[in-house]
Amino acid sequence: MSEWRPRTSSRNPSTRGSGRSSKPSSTPSSVFGNHFARPPVARTRKLRSQYPLDSDEPHVEYILVASFHVDKGPIMEHQYPAPISGDEHMLAELMLPDQAHVRKQDWTIFFLHKDNGGEDEKDDYSGGKQTAGGEEDHPSIEQDPDVTEEERKEEERQKLEDAMGGSEGPPLIYVLNLVNTKQDPTVKRGAVVKAMAICTRHSFLHIYKPLLLLALDEYFKSPRLETLASLYDAVNSMDLSLMPRLSLLERIILQASDSKDMFIEKFEQMIQQRMAGESKSPLPPSSPDSPSKSTTDLTRMVGGHRYTLPRDTHEYETRVIYNGIPIPVKVPTAVSPETVGDFSLIKLIQTFAGPHSTSPQPFMLHSHLTTAGAYTHPIIVLMNAMLTQKRVIFIGHNRPSGEVAEAVLAACALASGGILKGFTRHAFPYTDLTKIDALLKVPGFIAGVTNPAFANHPEWWDLLCDIPTGRMKISSRIAPAPVTEGLVYFNQQISLSANNVGSPSTNNPSDPVGDQAFMDDVLRSIANRYGEANIRARWRDWVVRFTRMAAVFEEIVYGASALYIGGDVADAGAAGVSGHGYVWSDDAARQRELSGAVSRIEGWRNTRSYYSFIQDLAQFYTCCPISQIDLHHHHDRLRSRKLTHNESAAIYFAFNSTVHSYAEICQLLTLAPESHAGLFYLSLGLFHPEGEVRVKTAELLERIMEHDAGRHFWASLSRFAKLAFLRIRKSREAAERKRVESNPGFAMRS
Amino acid sequence: MGGQISKMMNKIFGSKEMRLLMLGLDAAGKTTILYKLKLNQDVTTIPTVGFNVETVTYKNVKFNVWDVGGQDKIRPLWRHYFSGTQGLIFVIDSSDRDRIDEARQELHRIISDREMKEALLLVFANKRDIKGAMDPEEVKQRLQLEKLRDHTWFVEPSCAITGEGLFEGLGWLSEHVKLQAARQGK
Repeated sequence: MSEWRPRTSSRNPSTRGSGRSSKPSSTPSSVFGNHFARPPVARTRKLRSQYPLDSDEPHVEYILVASFHVDKGPIMEHQYPAPISGDEHMLAELMLPDQAHVRKQDWTIFFLHKDNGGEDEKDDYSGGKQTAGGEEDHPSIEQDPDVTEEERKEEERQKLEDAMGGSEGPPLIYVLNLVNTKQDPTVKRGAVVKAMAICTRHSFLHIYKPLLLLALDEYFKSPRLETLASLYDAVNSMDLSLMPRLSLLERIILQASDSKDMFIEKFEQMIQQRMAGESKSPLPPSSPDSPSKSTTDLTRMVGGHRYTLPRDTHEYETRVIYNGIPIPVKVPTAVSPETVGDFSLIKLIQTFAGPHSTSPQPFMLHSHLTTAGAYTHPIIVLMNAMLTQKRVIFIGHNRPSGEVAEAVLAACALASGGILKGFTRHAFPYTDLTKIDALLKVPGFIAGVTNPAFANHPEWWDLLCDIPTGRMKISSRIAPAPVTEGLVYFNQQISLSANNVGSPSTNNPSDPVGDQAFMDDVLRSIANRYGEANIRARWRDWVVRFTRMAAVFEEIVYGASALYIGGDVADAGAAGVSGHGYVWSDDAARQRELSGAVSRIEGWRNTRSYYSFIQDLAQFYTCCPISQIDLHHHHDRLRSRKLTHNESAAIYFAFNSTVHSYAEICQLLTLAPESHAGLFYLSLGLFHPEGEVRVKTAELLERIMEHDAGRHFWASLSRFAKLAFLRIRKSREAAERKRVESNPGFAMRS
Repeated sequence: MGGQISKMMNKIFGSKEMRLLMLGLDAAGKTTILYKLKLNQDVTTIPTVGFNVETVTYKNVKFNVWDVGGQDKIRPLWRHYFSGTQGLIFVIDSSDRDRIDEARQELHRIISDREMKEALLLVFANKRDIKGAMDPEEVKQRLQLEKLRDHTWFVEPSCAITGEGLFEGLGWLSEHVKLQAARQGK
């Protein structure tokens, strides 16, 4: 335990002295003794970079240039560092989008499915031959005597997480492409059309936009391979090595938080590690609170290097020097799956919600899509189409192709919610007629086009989303939804039980699942200028709710569900509580919502996103810290059910006895995001009539308060709860003191 | 609702819509023709990447004119525009005798497609102002139009820059099309 360096002083925001907008924690943790908080465990672990310096995976794999030849059409001009495999002509066509001739500049995005030839082993550092003293010298976890059992588990977890989603195949290559049309009376037919593309495995490919603008301009001046080479060298010299790697739970917490210094400790530690490496000495084992620590201000100068803590830990700021110009770049610290580029969900929602609210038009009915009848909200129709793996086309005649690409990427993120996968892999953010034959071979796709010819072919799509008009259309040629066994069985059950529970349509018959209420809420939030992050968090909630309802549905209809692992374990009553899965306020609500969602759920089963979700769940189950009780279920019960005092007491006791380690606290925090009132429902335990519950809740909250992420949650807790907490602490301390006085040897021993 | 009524009015009073597809070898003048029809202006055009589409109204007929790029590599895409086309406007550079055989091959390939069997064929013998340009008779011979027994065809000499012949061509199309009611909403 001597390795643990408490950093309470650096965590007090006032010592960081910047005018940042972080919420200062009103109660520095040093106020309380920390004798019964266990030290957060992850502290000793050496942090790893998301993109270590010694990684041999380049940021950018290829740079391409294509042009529109006046006699031949699209041709590839140059490729660097080597020709990209695959159909070169097809690539050139994608790089020169339809109607590039009518605008000076256009962006497109497309994806390549390219095998990376089994080089996946890179992250699998197997100890042994490490370069001594190297900056990124990861000590092998097996050999490190200071590593605790807990950390070993954490390490395993990390490896498993890294493997998550790997079943889908190698990562996609994302291509960001810029096309310019320059009128030039001196050339044949009066214009030159050229496009330059950057191919990367980073999903945040939008960071390269300013660089492409400069480089393509440069290429018009000197159309040589060297121009590509200098861009390639510049983008690959980008240094992200001080960006800490976050665990899955940490990423979820960071994304759900508005706090600008969430996990700042990790960035500090990365800098410290770097400095320690530079001075060729091991990490200073002493001086936890030495003066050098408290000078951890925004910047530090060591060996001529300037290390800067991020102003907002959601982004890592770095720069790329191209042609002597430093170009600032912001890389997201935590990227959800299926999040590619810099789209806006708000823009997508507004595009289609606007016309619907002013003059709603009826949809042709389809049980998978129009889940609330002919006037189902178009965004819900889109959501349903994505979940049930329909062919979705975004069309934007006379719009830049970048705009349709953005809509496609936003739709993928919307349907995924950061939870489900398999959308971007079958997305074609921009495509045209040249690819139609290949496109039609894909069962269920999301494509962006600008050519209105697609509208004339209803046999090519199931749902057509017209961006300029903001209208969606269900194809007259769409395949009808099959009647499945599950559907039949569930409907029989409903008709039987409907008599018992009363009519399932008691509340709002036109909106059984609450989708309309949800959309109204989202639109209100957009109107009230809640940001993009808030809206993304809401969709995440929607998807989580959908998957949990699907699990309940499967358990009812099929007797078991692959969408919920460990139900029997969670029901066994470990830690004094049992039960699992989604929680409804009462049985009537459960009946109503399930029957409203049944066709959507049945349509989702057997899709790609369904199967990959099952795989992810299995992996998550093995690597999530707490699986003996269903934290989510019990937290939901605190939230939405009327519980007896004994029931709630059991939950508070169970939480206190299971949630200890750093990762366990992280897991609990993911269930209590700020947008869901944070720790409010936990803090209610401070007011429980039973004294022991109040004390145990205080113990749990104290651990959370000491936690790197938990302290932010604590800070946003209401003053009322904090006062209650202090009161309990005080009486506890008084009792402790009394005990120590009566038994003086006790203090010495500890 | 409003759309329904105006559709009905169109049926009664004969406002018609016609979908036209304009094809031809690269640099024949398709885009210049399209914008001369649309804007009555001589616009400087550059090679078409993909397509252009505009609506032109002439003599109470709404022409939906698709103009698709003509470079040889992108010609295989033409077939995707065939479905629903009522009239093909095939544009040739009548001063370019070197490529008239290439043009003939493309034209016969298009017009023999099953989806084009109902379509009228209008050939614009464009760039007729250039000295030594082929006259309509020579164009008819070189394109072997006589072979096209199943199609109604017509050759109209034109000059896209001045607009000569263009509306005459549209007039011929609107007279010969079996005027179908606007095929919207199908």
